[in-house]
This record gives sequence, structure tokens and C-alpha cells, in this order.
Amino acid sequence: MKLFQTIKLLFPALIPSWDFFESIAPSPRIQFSLLNSEKQIDKHWVEFRPRPQYVSLIEMLNRMLWNPRWNESLFLVSCAERIVGNSSSELILHSEKEILKRIKNDLLQKHQTLTASHFQFRLVFVQRQGKKLIEEVAFISRTQTFTNEERL
Amino acid sequence: MNLETAIRLTEILMGFAFVQQSIEHLTVFSDERRLFLARLILSLLLIIGIQTAWVSFLLLLLGLAILKIFHGPYNGGADRMSLLILLCLCLAHLAPTPRWQELAFGYLALQLILSYFISGWVKVVNPEWRNGQALRDVFQYSAYPVSESLRHLSQSPRLLLSMSWWVILFELLFPLALISSTSLKAALIFAAMFHLSNAFLFGLNRFFWIWITAYPSIIWFQSRIFS
Repeated sequence: MKLFQTIKLLFPALIPSWDFFESIAPSPRIQFSLLNSEKQIDKHWVEFRPRPQYVSLIEMLNRMLWNPRWNESLFLVSCAERIVGNSSSELILHSEKEILKRIKNDLLQKHQTLTASHFQFRLVFVQRQGKKLIEEVAFISRTQTFTNEERL
Repeated sequence: MNLETAIRLTEILMGFAFVQQSIEHLTVFSDERRLFLARLILSLLLIIGIQTAWVSFLLLLLGLAILKIFHGPYNGGADRMSLLILLCLCLAHLAPTPRWQELAFGYLALQLILSYFISGWVKVVNPEWRNGQALRDVFQYSAYPVSESLRHLSQSPRLLLSMSWWVILFELLFPLALISSTSLKAALIFAAMFHLSNAFLFGLNRFFWIWITAYPSIIWFQSRIFS
């Protein structure tokens, strides 16, 4: 059964649809919040990996060969779209896990010590309605714990 | 370009594209690292030219394992094209006769043509693409622009309208480039520039490397059918 499911993933490669940018769908932003307890009510949401103000031509050229962070961010966009799309519960759980894993990894790399004991993320979808851009919270994840070893 | 040369060139280009992709995964989580380290080694063997049929088959199996850990493609269309090229290479190696080998490799060329034509078709039937709004949306709020400064391009509707039509016309007219080898080479240079600009503006570097990997198939296909 698992083998069949894996081979099924190959079908879109054998007969691809190639409908790139057919329409511009609502676009996800991932925001996270550091929490001092699992049930903290006041939450301060911060954008995960905000894009830089400016990327130079040299940097763009470098990114032709070395672009892991951006490609990972694009994967997280796919995960966000899977969560709110008509995905199976298994796929939603996997996507949520992937986003949590990568946010945690970033936070642990960025901070030498963390005071927060938990964190969670939410998905905000941006879309245009008429001439206005509107934002809508479409998903709030479960909370994830930092172990004591991770925090130190 | 004969079939043998086109296949070998595809293997080398794919090897380089996979090396680039694999290195990007070596700094992250151990489950990913193991798979991509194996992919890196196999890709180097493919570039050198050792047992390319077996190596292609193993890369295909590894591709399935990678699909499984990410529950689908990691980088959408770039991964789909990678698997398509691998499948076609494996089938070309497995083919019992030269005719079957040509069919397997020709399928890759056909899909490359469709990748441009269908992309153009879905855009031209969408009024938001025809009036430039879709590209404005891409720059204004999609997840793709690599910097905030690029978002300002959404305030240049005339520029984006002309860019939309350049993209639509190029993609729709791409199949006509097969008429001669000169027109095909010109179209492929234009296409590569298009992918390069997508890589610069939207960070889609993997698309650039993997799409040019499929170019030998169409160069061979053009000479096989039209010469």
C-alpha cells in the first residue's frame, strides 16, 4: 500500500500538467509566536523569514548555485498550501510537522538561549479583493515544546 | 546531434543539476542529508559516465524516496521535471531497440515543448494574464519575489503588461521554433534567459538548471524529425 502511494506520487512527473501560474492564488505567510507556557493567551506573531529589503545582482548570481534557505522557504509555502487545500489528514499533519521542525531549527540557530518554553505558528493568507489586499488567518498550529537542553 | 550524444549530454547536465540541488540539502536534517549525500555521489558517477544506466535507475529510486519523505515534490515543477528526465533516461537505457529508445527520449522532448506551450495556453485564456493583473499580483503579494524592493514593480502596470505578453507569446509560439535548427537555438537561448530572470527575481534557481538539462532532447528531436 505504501509502495503504491509512493509510486502514485510519480504520476504527475510522468504526465505533468505544466500549468504554471495559471491563476494567482492567495499567498501564505508563516508567522510564529514564542510562548512562555502552552496555554499563553497573549501572543505576539512574528513573520517567519521575512524577505530582505534588497538583493544585489551579485547575490542573485550566487543564489544560482547556493540557495538552500530560499528553496526551503518555497517548500514551506507548498506545505502551507497543502494544509489549507483539500489534503488528507496525514498530509496536513506532515506539513504542520515540517513547518514546526524548520521554525524550531531556525530559532535554535538564531538564539543562543531561549526564554520561551513553547512556540506555535499560524498561516495568514494574503489575497487581492478588488484593489485591496486582504489578510486572513487560515490555520493555527499546535504548540511545540523546547526541551531544556534545546533552550540552553 | 545524434541520440547517443544527446543522452550523454543530458546525463552530464542532470548530474550537475542534481549536485547543485543535493549540496543545498547537506547542511540540514540528518534524514534529508543521508538521501542527498547518496544522490550527490550517484550524480558525480553520472557526470563521470560510470554505469550510467544503473546510476540513472538508482537515482530514480532515490527520487521516489525523496518524494516520500517530503510527501510530494520539494520544489514543485523543478522536481517533476527532474523525475521526468530520469524516467525518460531510464526508459531509453532499458529500450530493447533503437526505435523504442528514440520514443523514450522523444517523449522528453515532447514534454519540454508542452511545458512551454501549456504554460502559455493557461495564461492566454485567463483575462487577468491578458490585462497584466496576474503579473502585478505576482509582484504585489505572491510568495515569490526575492526582496521587498521587487514588490515595487507591481506599480509599473505598463511594464508588467508588456512582460505578460512577451511571456505568453513566447510560450505559445515555442513549438514553431522547431521549424529550423537556427530558430530552435534562438528560442532555447531566449528560454534560458527567461528561466534565468525567474531565478533572479523569484529565486527559482533549480528550474533554470533542470530545464536546460532537457534541451539536448529537443535539439536531437528537431534534427531527427525536421532534418
